[in-house]
Amino acid sequence: MANPILLMREGDMPYQPISIASMEWNKTGNWRYLRPRFDNKVPPCNEGCPAGQDIEGAMVLIGKGRFLEAWELFKQENPFPAVCGRVCYHPCESSCNRGDFDEPLSINALERFMADMASKHGRRLSWKREKRPEKIAVIGSGPAGLTCAYHLARMGYGVTVFEALPVLGGMLRVGIPEYRLPKKVLEEEIDQILELGVKAEINTRLGGNLSLGDLKEFQALFVALGNHQSKSLGIPGEEAREIMSGVEFLRDVSLGKEVALGKRVAVIGGGNTAIDAARSALRLGAKPNILYRRTREEMPAFPGEILEAEEEGIEISFLVSPVRVMGENGKVKQLECIKNRLGPPDEDGRRRPVEIKGSNFSLEVDQIISAIGEEADLSPLPKKLVAKDHTILTDERGATKQAGMFAGGDIIQQPRTVVHAIGSGKRTAIFIDCLLKDQKWEGLFEALRVGEKGSLSMKRYLQEEGERAPLSSKTVRLQDLNLDYFDYQKRPKMPKAKASRRTGSFGEVNLGFSEEMAVGEAKRCFNCGVCNLCDNCYIFCPDVAIHKRGEDELNEIDYEHCKGCGICMEECPRDVIVMEEEGR
Amino acid sequence: MKKIMVGNHAVSWGVMLARAEVIPAYPITPQTSIVEELSVLCADERLRAKFIPVESEHSAMACCVGASAAGVRTFTATSSQGLALMHEMLHWAAGARLPIVMANVNRALGSPFNIWGEQSDSLAQRDTGWLQLYCENNQEVLDTVIQSFKIAEEVLLPVMLVLDAFTLSHTAEAVDIPEQSLVDGFLPRYQPKLRLDPKDPRSFACLAPPEYLMEFRYKMQQSMLEAKEVCRRVDEEFSRTFSRKYGLIEAYRCEGADLILVTSGSVAGTARVAVDALREKGRKVGLVKVRLFRPFPKDELLEVVRDTEKVAVLDRSLSLGIGGFFAHEIRAAFCNEKKHPPIFSYITGLGGRDVTMQMLNDVFYQTYERSKPPEQSVWIGMRS
Repeated sequence: MANPILLMREGDMPYQPISIASMEWNKTGNWRYLRPRFDNKVPPCNEGCPAGQDIEGAMVLIGKGRFLEAWELFKQENPFPAVCGRVCYHPCESSCNRGDFDEPLSINALERFMADMASKHGRRLSWKREKRPEKIAVIGSGPAGLTCAYHLARMGYGVTVFEALPVLGGMLRVGIPEYRLPKKVLEEEIDQILELGVKAEINTRLGGNLSLGDLKEFQALFVALGNHQSKSLGIPGEEAREIMSGVEFLRDVSLGKEVALGKRVAVIGGGNTAIDAARSALRLGAKPNILYRRTREEMPAFPGEILEAEEEGIEISFLVSPVRVMGENGKVKQLECIKNRLGPPDEDGRRRPVEIKGSNFSLEVDQIISAIGEEADLSPLPKKLVAKDHTILTDERGATKQAGMFAGGDIIQQPRTVVHAIGSGKRTAIFIDCLLKDQKWEGLFEALRVGEKGSLSMKRYLQEEGERAPLSSKTVRLQDLNLDYFDYQKRPKMPKAKASRRTGSFGEVNLGFSEEMAVGEAKRCFNCGVCNLCDNCYIFCPDVAIHKRGEDELNEIDYEHCKGCGICMEECPRDVIVMEEEGR
Repeated sequence: MKKIMVGNHAVSWGVMLARAEVIPAYPITPQTSIVEELSVLCADERLRAKFIPVESEHSAMACCVGASAAGVRTFTATSSQGLALMHEMLHWAAGARLPIVMANVNRALGSPFNIWGEQSDSLAQRDTGWLQLYCENNQEVLDTVIQSFKIAEEVLLPVMLVLDAFTLSHTAEAVDIPEQSLVDGFLPRYQPKLRLDPKDPRSFACLAPPEYLMEFRYKMQQSMLEAKEVCRRVDEEFSRTFSRKYGLIEAYRCEGADLILVTSGSVAGTARVAVDALREKGRKVGLVKVRLFRPFPKDELLEVVRDTEKVAVLDRSLSLGIGGFFAHEIRAAFCNEKKHPPIFSYITGLGGRDVTMQMLNDVFYQTYERSKPPEQSVWIGMRS
């Protein structure tokens, strides 16, 4: 502080009440007891994505028409945006804060849009990487196996994928029908993985022409077998030739085999396999009828898929269980069924079906497709790795009890979805890298987490520790936003092929967004918790203490003049600014 | 060049000719067309000023304080409730010795709600340290805007010029628009002695503890007293350039008068005609129009009325509990004088009620009839 000024006589005093000495020492910022800070937080969509994609970041880019950059951002985490943009059950959208405001953002459709744009422009990614000497074997070329191979190859490892079938892609290729996921789209994304130098050995089945003993040259092993066996119905007459399993039927159709279906096809089950089987049968000229033992409420299939099946005229009979198959000369003639009512909930919380005595009836059928659940053939793996529920036991890294062996996808204990499989493949790639580099891995969950639901960020993993942006532990919810800045706006409807034209064709049902729809929809994103340079803080700061920097750079807070009033925090639409007590 | 224009536009054009640089303003009836016209003048760059639309009159004056402290010529305009909302900031502006100029369009204050002319709004702000000038017609309005900047920037006190709602604000008259070059010669660019400078940061309007505050007030009072001389000199200079002169007060036909009417604002125009008519009839009446209200021109007034028999003060204002503002001020100013005429106080024209010739005649005749002023103000033109 400057020297005190002695009392003056009236005549010596200034006429204006202005300090005589400089006030350089007393910047108005030193009155502050609360300090604002830009603190990007976790958007709920990113947290909700099991593949840990930076959805919010991609929305900003799509909104600016920078589609290919958005696609590259997704590709950092997931090799399959074109696939996921079609078949993912999009838990990101159920987490979207707009869902509690008007309608969730169409993230899934936008993911597909940017992937289709990248494909249209023949876009390829090149990754700078140092070749590493270690080799890794991946068993199973489904989404888990290929994702793991993709990330490890990006890190420079030599990866070989072993696949039992003559085609790559696992369930993506032989489980999901063409009308939901065209082969061409899948193949393009698989080709991009192979271009990284990943080797693929098809027609190589673990437990068949391949044993674990053959893999000694590999320093690590990722087991990602799919669930390619249907559970048995367990009813008399099941051995008849015209009873097919759902996965087998879908696989045969996918592989282009001739499948002889009769006209009347009963599909038993309520999951996605049952719906896919019925819709495929419809396209082969049959008249399928889905029999499900509980009600619509309990159906495990995705609601959108059920709706589309019904649009196509597929009948779903609820509260019906098969009892007996009746045949003649080895051919199915009738299916005897019984009606159910709902009883008390079972251990997974869904109400259990209870048979109504004497309500038996018979259906005339030519073919029965059983799709009541799938499981893996784990017999080639050591018994000590298999848990009671017929899954492979893993720790939080995805490592099994056998040194160097990891597992992922549908055979471990996690939801059986494409995106969870992708998440497990990515996680495994990270921890195989740690293992082979002999690095500590315990702190990584904290350093790489995307929210609290277990997703990890590959982008952060590949950054040097010092480069990683500070990570907030807070996921932004609707009540954290300043909703005065947002208007109600419905999401656009996905253009679809007419239901009447879908019968007899495996052409894609969902047709994708136009460029205009995509940009408009991406702009509907709240950008929860992430600064999108809206400049509200800059506009509202009464002390002009927020300074602008270059294009695309965060604003800067001038703490010499910020008085800590908190208006910037209040007026931030997306909860980016925090006020913290001033350290004295 | 002469132009037919309403009083509000005369304000705007005066501001344009004075080359104000910052105009923070908030609209209010009957002032709105002042700022509307200014926004147009700024938009088409006939006036190169920063026009700042603010969210209230309080902010308008706060913004003026900031702009003026930064050293630029600053103007705003308001009326009635808006002026009342500014009240706190009026003190800050004057105390900081900032030469802000403001036009106030006189209007009654609610309740009951009324948008018409009455001088109580500006007169109630007489103690805030602002100079106050009351205008009679649209030409005087335009000329007073230009004079006000020159006065304010010399005495370093803010100036409020006042015009009546509708009678002036929305009534068109011929107004002579002075040449810009002549105005520039009369009113050069504002050269602040002290101003906000980021390179030499000072505390403005800083804390003055008991050891200092009285001295600041004393200096303000001295400047107020000196302001009369400044006003007189500026008016003199103005007349040399533009051939129009208004004075601190104006005496009209007061020679040998036995009764002088004192009033202000547009009523003075009607009063001139009333005086002429009574003089025709042989009555020795005169008129004093008070133009400067703060600082109060006591000596000038006394000089004119000392030898008359009676003074009638007509107020279009009311200080509740005492009566008309002008009558009260004049009585207080004269009370220690050995010789001064009795002061008769009349109230009329509140809330925009028209002040007619008939009412003015009433004032003259009632004053003639009474031997001494009644205890309370007499109300003229009441509904009967």
